[in-house]
Amino acid sequence: MSLSAAVLGLTVLCYLLGAVAHGANLLLRRPWLLNAGRALAVAAALLHGTAIGLRCMEVHHAPFTTPAESLSLLGWIVCLLYLGMEAVWKLSAAGPFALGLSFLLVLTGASLAVGAGPSSAPQGETAALLAERAISLHILATVAALGAFALAFCCAALYLIGHHILKSKHGLAWIKRLPPLATVESAAFTLVAIGFPLLTLGILSGFARAARGGLPPGWQTDGKTILAYAVWAVYGAFLYARLGANWPPVRTAYILIVGLALSLLLLLVPSAAHRFTG
Amino acid sequence: MPLHVTGLSHNTAAPVEVRERLAFTTPRALDEALTHLKGALAPLGGECVLLSTCNRTELYVAAPGDTDPDELADLLLAAHGISAAERADWLPYLEDKGGCRAVEHLFRVTSGLESMVLGENDIVRQVKDAFSRATTAGTCGPTLNPLFHEALRVAKRARTEMNLSRGAFSIGHAAAQLAESIHGSLAGRTVLLLGAGKMSETTARHLGAAGANQVLVANRTYDRAVRLAENLNGRAIHYDAFVEHLADADIVIASTAAPHTVVHRPMIEEAMRARSRRRPLYLIDIAVPRDIDADVGEVEGVYLFNIDHLQAIVEEEAAERRRRAVRAEALIREEALAWSARMKAALVATPLLRSVREKHRAIVQDGLTRLRQDLPHLSEDDWRRIEAFAAALENRIAHDPTLKIKEYAERAAVDGGETSEEIAAKMRTARELFGLDEAANAAARHRGE
Repeated sequence: MSLSAAVLGLTVLCYLLGAVAHGANLLLRRPWLLNAGRALAVAAALLHGTAIGLRCMEVHHAPFTTPAESLSLLGWIVCLLYLGMEAVWKLSAAGPFALGLSFLLVLTGASLAVGAGPSSAPQGETAALLAERAISLHILATVAALGAFALAFCCAALYLIGHHILKSKHGLAWIKRLPPLATVESAAFTLVAIGFPLLTLGILSGFARAARGGLPPGWQTDGKTILAYAVWAVYGAFLYARLGANWPPVRTAYILIVGLALSLLLLLVPSAAHRFTG
Repeated sequence: MPLHVTGLSHNTAAPVEVRERLAFTTPRALDEALTHLKGALAPLGGECVLLSTCNRTELYVAAPGDTDPDELADLLLAAHGISAAERADWLPYLEDKGGCRAVEHLFRVTSGLESMVLGENDIVRQVKDAFSRATTAGTCGPTLNPLFHEALRVAKRARTEMNLSRGAFSIGHAAAQLAESIHGSLAGRTVLLLGAGKMSETTARHLGAAGANQVLVANRTYDRAVRLAENLNGRAIHYDAFVEHLADADIVIASTAAPHTVVHRPMIEEAMRARSRRRPLYLIDIAVPRDIDADVGEVEGVYLFNIDHLQAIVEEEAAERRRRAVRAEALIREEALAWSARMKAALVATPLLRSVREKHRAIVQDGLTRLRQDLPHLSEDDWRRIEAFAAALENRIAHDPTLKIKEYAERAAVDGGETSEEIAAKMRTARELFGLDEAANAAARHRGE
């Protein structure tokens, strides 16, 4: 087992324990559980960063050339964004989702890597393509945007749960465990405001690279390309609804749920043109 | 010194008219009572703390020897200027506890387990005040001083570990918590009060404490609105104009005496159209009969709560606190037993420790006296140095046995659960080991010569 894999193993454990500690805190509301969850999230972020760095040194290329690496990078970005959210808005209620998602992403990536075997690393033409700056920017920006959208979805879900409790008056004891509606609404908007330009950058850098030629034929109608436009349109619609059309937060929260569903499809859909993510 | 507590509270079946007669309502009355108690306890070498809140008046006394509960009751009544002849009228309401039960009682009181509203926080401040006042008056000593510090520590532990103080304690508190769940920080939020009754004032004060600092008051009697607005640092508006201010409000508290609803769905829909749709409106209807039409709650962005909803939150949280209190009671009992055992150990170990120190001191002094005779040429400065060295040596020699004796006594009392007599028997053995009785006999013989 390589050193990066060993560190990644520890990272997965920290993600799992962090998610459990945050979940237990949500149920039991014990300060020590919250502190433990925070410490585990910070440890996981540091270990994950180290694992990605070690992986780069071991394979001598960017850390997103295989599906496993891309998922691992996405998991790390989700954790980093969560730590930022926690510092700014005290949104520890998003911890079980964020750390649980990071755990699942890294675990899924690891099982994909095991299934693909040692020959899964890109070779020849693909490897050369991935080494280009435009492609690196394309992947990094898109993955970071997906991370922000995932957490925006979490905020939207928290908003809808809180809204439902306050409207129905059922389970009011739970409302104290959830962050204020105004806070999650504001956090969701900020995350989309970060993710949307990143996705735009990802799409534009992909276009720029494609214009230079050398990509597999049919990239224009590739599933990921089409879905990227759809995701961009949905989050663009969210920003318009939030800023321009004065939609109420409940309706914009539903847009974020649709947005994440499309983002997941974007991540998972098989693609011939985007070989680095499967 | 053994601890006793005597007093009355809502738990001793004392009705409010009895409680208010024995309450020390002003700081001056408390200080005068403490002065009186200090004078009464000084000949005994006793200590006391007087705790007086709206629901409780209690006198904590630590005095040597056995204390007669009737004497304590007389002491408390006399501090209030009530003669012993009237004691019979008060006895049905007064309760006396001693020893470990008194310690446990103090821990329970400080933790809020004896409060009318279980787990409320005010009692901690009141106990701190009572303790601080007693310290200033000079009625607190080596027994009550550490005991009250311990009570505050135990209360903090019970509240933190068992979450005793969490949740809403009243309708106003529940309303403020819900406001924070909707708006987050209440700083800069506008509260509109419809009606200038006591309930709306209390709720507005809770919201103000949570940060809401812009208050508008509308009442049918404009003068009352003005008075309440002045009390709340707000602004009075004419009742007929309240609809125009709905669009500016983040929170509306309705508690008018109107026999029918005064806030209708079209009014709220109009207000919501006139403001950002991301800005929710929180309506609190605490009037009976209700002031706000129930279908107002269906409007998008509006959260409507009536008095039953808020009461349900308060009751649910009180039930949750009662469940937590059961665990807190066990913790407090354990802490009280441990404290009492430590005190019991200290009670028997202290005379032994004093004897050990006295014996060491006598040996050192004897040695120094002889040395002075043998070395008459040394200067006073040299002697000061020698005496300082001898004192340091004496302390170092006494340090380990002192610690061991304390540890042993505490272990025997706390872990072994030994009685005072059993520990005292072991202390006698220790006296023999240190040769303390021989030294005392020799000293007595020496004095006889």
